[in-house]
Amino acid sequence: MTAVEVSHISKSFGPVKAVDDVSFTVEKGEIFGLLGPNGAGKTTIIRLMLEIFKPESGQVSILGGPMDEAKKDRIGYMPEERGLYQDIALERVLVYLATLKDVPSDEARRRANQYLDQFDLTAYKNKNVKDLSKGMQQKAQIIATLLHQPELVIIDEPFSGLDPVNTQMVKNVLMDLRRQGVTIIMSTHQMHQVEEMCDRILLVNHGRVVLYGNLDDIRRQYSGHAVLVRTEGNLPTIPGVESIVTHNSALKLTLSPGTSPQDVLRALVALDVTLEQFEIATPTLDEIFIRVVQGEKGQE
Amino acid sequence: MKKFWRVVHYEYTRHVLRKRFLLGLLSVPLVIAAMALVVFLLVRTETNDQPVGYIDHAGFLSTPLPAPRSTTFSRPVKMLPFESETQAQSALERKDIQAYYVLEADFLQTGQASVVALDKVSSSVRKQFEAFVRTTLLAGQPPEIIKRLNEGDNLVVRSADGARQMGEDDWFNIFTPFIAGFALMIAMFTASGYLMQAVVEEKENRTMEVLVTSVSPGQLMAGKVIGIIGVGLTQLLAWGGMAILVILVGRNYIDLMKGIHFSVASVGLLLAILIPSFVMISGLMAAVGAIVTDGREGQQLTSLFTLPVVLPYWFIYQIMTNPNGPLPVALSFFPLTAPVTLTMRMGFANIPVWQVVLNIAVLVASAIGALWLAGHTFRLGMLRYGQRLSWREIFGRSG
Repeated sequence: MTAVEVSHISKSFGPVKAVDDVSFTVEKGEIFGLLGPNGAGKTTIIRLMLEIFKPESGQVSILGGPMDEAKKDRIGYMPEERGLYQDIALERVLVYLATLKDVPSDEARRRANQYLDQFDLTAYKNKNVKDLSKGMQQKAQIIATLLHQPELVIIDEPFSGLDPVNTQMVKNVLMDLRRQGVTIIMSTHQMHQVEEMCDRILLVNHGRVVLYGNLDDIRRQYSGHAVLVRTEGNLPTIPGVESIVTHNSALKLTLSPGTSPQDVLRALVALDVTLEQFEIATPTLDEIFIRVVQGEKGQE
Repeated sequence: MKKFWRVVHYEYTRHVLRKRFLLGLLSVPLVIAAMALVVFLLVRTETNDQPVGYIDHAGFLSTPLPAPRSTTFSRPVKMLPFESETQAQSALERKDIQAYYVLEADFLQTGQASVVALDKVSSSVRKQFEAFVRTTLLAGQPPEIIKRLNEGDNLVVRSADGARQMGEDDWFNIFTPFIAGFALMIAMFTASGYLMQAVVEEKENRTMEVLVTSVSPGQLMAGKVIGIIGVGLTQLLAWGGMAILVILVGRNYIDLMKGIHFSVASVGLLLAILIPSFVMISGLMAAVGAIVTDGREGQQLTSLFTLPVVLPYWFIYQIMTNPNGPLPVALSFFPLTAPVTLTMRMGFANIPVWQVVLNIAVLVASAIGALWLAGHTFRLGMLRYGQRLSWREIFGRSG
């Protein structure tokens, strides 16, 4: 089942094409990573999905059709940073925002208190939002996003400003939601979180899709660019190897374009090198990100 | 619809339950009360309360009756009888008395009397002496006649078509629209100022994104404007309530307040002018909030319409002397100058019915236009962080 289907959307701001012919789908119950460098167009894509902006061309289908007022109650959206009234007491803001999502105020208050307890914020519920620390505000914002029990959560930088303990807690909350069948679209720069949590990703740069698909497939697609080798004795010079760096107890050989791991293995065997380890290095998402953004194409 | 009311409720309570609102609410009547107190004390201290002497050659004041209690701010003055003018003169020179009246022998026939004083006798002292003489003269008359004669006359001027009349004591009805216009302006600008600030803040802290993904922009904007109008009306009602209370209590003690009465027609007309004006200004303020990037810039931009609103006060002389002249009529047709001009003209003249109807129609249309503009600029400008909307963008395209 598809939760979101975006097809060929484009949006310009003056001469700048912020989103250029972007298409992707988000399946129900998955955690979908929306990645890209700063200014790549991630937030604009989110706003187009939520119909905060209208696309110049293309279509968005969300929860089975075009966006409408009733669907707003089924979606939880957390914009990057802030997004809460600053000079109002925390509990009051949470209850008000939940009632705007059609939760009765008594129920909203009950749930808010439950979450405040879970997020360790009960002592601050009567404090104005602006008096909370950045991390606390971030947690408060996450609560505001989840209080009305949305089916689709769109969350921009959920871990910003959080310490490791709170990061883990938020991660657990999001993973729990996925287990309950909630669809989560997460935009973040923290690649290791994406690697741990996301099923599929979309990487955009300059408003265009540069990578899209299953995370494991993408990593496989980008592997073969380097191999990890451990040998007895010194490693002789091997054709097609650009650089060699020490990687844990092994050596990481970065291959020149056109050289495959098989070529390296054949050369090593031909040179009669005794191998203790030969492994195709799987690139981290960080590495893929940097390579893609810097204009390098993955191997076909 | 439920969400709309939630926005109204939230916007209303978030302002009304604040300390600064309560402070604003109380500060205006407190300042007025303080001013009234200063005036009262000045009048009291400046009134000479030394006794006044009299020589009664007509012989009817041998057993004088006490005059009725004074209902002015001034202090009561004691009346002392003297046998002769020489005695009175020496008392005056000793400054035991401030003045003495001489009532001639034929006073009852001619009403001739003279007064001798070192300084000019104040009108309140003169009135007290007149009341003192009148009370004794009227002794034995039925109480309602005494009361009626003490109250004196009240000249009522009526317009030729009979549609309008104005009594000497009707000063209040001239100033009510004037004061109401002024109170409206203060309430309107404070309340809609809150609205502009709130919109700018929501844009700045991105609460706006969360809000428009929960409520439709139209509902949100209308809810905000209605909530803010509620705040303004609360302010006006509170001030109005305090004023009525002061009048109800005051009319028992102060002569000036006795002529005060309320006309349903003028209150109705006042509301018909004030409510669309309020909606119009709030709509414009909200639109400014949506256009600008910070509060200070907003304040500069709002002067574009706050100046025209207060402009009629510059022409107060022309409006007072010729309320139905070309300038006041022209100012009544321009939506921003209409509220103040109309409230002033109401006090000084009869505005032709067709003009009233047309002026109110223009105001209502402007109010609707301002709401549309608020919604439209809001949609365009809500997510433009740090970047102001251009006029071309606002008026150049729709949707």
